[in-house]
Amino acid sequence: MIEVRKVHKWFGSLHVLRGIDMQVEKGEVLVIVGPSGSGKSTLLRCINLLIQPDSGDILLEGVKVNEPDIRPEWVREQIGMVFQSFNLFTHLTALKNVMLGLTKVKRMDAVEAEKVARYELERVGLADKADSYPAQLSGGQQQRVAIARALALNPKVMLFDEPTSALDPEFIHEVLDVMTKLAFEGMTMVVVSHEMGFAKSVADQLIFMDNGVILEVGVPEEVFANPKTDRMRAFIGKILG
Amino acid sequence: MGGEGASTTTERRLDTTPESSSRSTGLLGKFASPRTIKNIAIGFGGAFIFLALFVYLGVVGVYDLQYAASTLNALRIGATNTLVLVGIVIPVGLSAGFTFGWGRTSHRWFVRSVSTVYVEFFRSMPPLVLIFFAFLISTTVVLSVPGLADRIGDPNSFAISMSVLALAFHSGAYQAEIVRAGIQSVPTGQREAAEAIGLKRGRILAYVILPQMLRVSLPALGNEFASVIKDTSLLSAVGILDLAYMASNLSSRLIISRGSIENIFLVYVEIALIYLAMTFIVSRALQEIERSFRVPGLEPAQL
Repeated sequence: MIEVRKVHKWFGSLHVLRGIDMQVEKGEVLVIVGPSGSGKSTLLRCINLLIQPDSGDILLEGVKVNEPDIRPEWVREQIGMVFQSFNLFTHLTALKNVMLGLTKVKRMDAVEAEKVARYELERVGLADKADSYPAQLSGGQQQRVAIARALALNPKVMLFDEPTSALDPEFIHEVLDVMTKLAFEGMTMVVVSHEMGFAKSVADQLIFMDNGVILEVGVPEEVFANPKTDRMRAFIGKILG
Repeated sequence: MGGEGASTTTERRLDTTPESSSRSTGLLGKFASPRTIKNIAIGFGGAFIFLALFVYLGVVGVYDLQYAASTLNALRIGATNTLVLVGIVIPVGLSAGFTFGWGRTSHRWFVRSVSTVYVEFFRSMPPLVLIFFAFLISTTVVLSVPGLADRIGDPNSFAISMSVLALAFHSGAYQAEIVRAGIQSVPTGQREAAEAIGLKRGRILAYVILPQMLRVSLPALGNEFASVIKDTSLLSAVGILDLAYMASNLSSRLIISRGSIENIFLVYVEIALIYLAMTFIVSRALQEIERSFRVPGLEPAQL
């Protein structure tokens, strides 16, 4: 589904991604962990071309997408993304947030778009919040609307950039529940998260990144149980407290 | 003494109104009008005080109402011309403001520098000087290029048009800064989220950035509109027959004909009231538009 080959990215003199290779199959859930500043978010943004990689290939269903003749909008339309800080459009209701992509990207008519949007909000358990504005919703609810907004465009892959890091502890589970449900429905997902419980129960593959390189790849339980590198060991020690 | 008393009563009134209005919003539900009524009342209150002063002076006998009636025709022409000027200066200034304000946030250095030069140039000139520059330069150019004067027809009206544009661009420079601040007040996450669902640049601007930016910028834009309405009076300096020109014309006629000096004051009170009405209407309209951009849950704090 998604293949990343030898991707490098510099921000000025800062070498953020130093030759990343990874692969996600259809229906697979990949969790990326690593200390802050290790390049996880940059990698995620390279996949949907919010950031253009400086070298290397990004392949979506075998098609190289970081080519000048491929419109980034066409790529992003097929890849849903959920952000750490939700980034709901503050001036639109939950319903209109979900509808915007449908009417302005998919060019669906308003009636049809509303139908789809209401269905997606119901999927994340927020049918009754359709007319609320983001500022009237809790963090957990906002993040679920953001997931609905991404799902509405019927993406092939969903990217999650630390979806629970900005949430109060009491709201984390409701977002993780939605993500778990999504994973069991067969959605292909790339998740940057430090939720070890989620990683263990849902992820097929776990990647540990540090300093712009992938240090470990494997089945979550194995990687957690037998870390091969000292840095991974230190990192696990830190997040498990 | 009197002023002090008046200020404490208004303070007390301002203290109590938010409470009573918030209590009544529950009752009135979606008829959220008490605030509108209050705002209009405050606006009209200001106008009323002005008017009361005017009437009082007239009652005391300072004013010659017959003379006031005789000026109305001249003031009508002045008011029409001022309205025409406002009708040119605000749209042109707004267009310039949006173009260059957006340009100031561009990622292309060339667009950014052109916009910065525009803003810095027009903002650092007194509007009156700009108006004269535009008038003199365009007159000089028209007269010095052979054959150009004939093709343009009337060099004087050309120079006057340039002066009007100069004022519009002066206002545009201020509006550009307002627009820039508005655009920059929208968090980058909003743009990123819009990009992530596959929206194109133009649509991101229209559906995501602009509505959020306007919520922030409208009060300042309203301020600038109110200011530029009155700045059109500077255009009387190049001979446009606007309100200010008519007023100075009437008063010089009074001086020449050794008429009552109080009547000069009267003429200026008259045009002040007309400017007040224009400014009031425009700022009320802006406040109504502002209300439509308000977002539930993001209401302004009431101090």
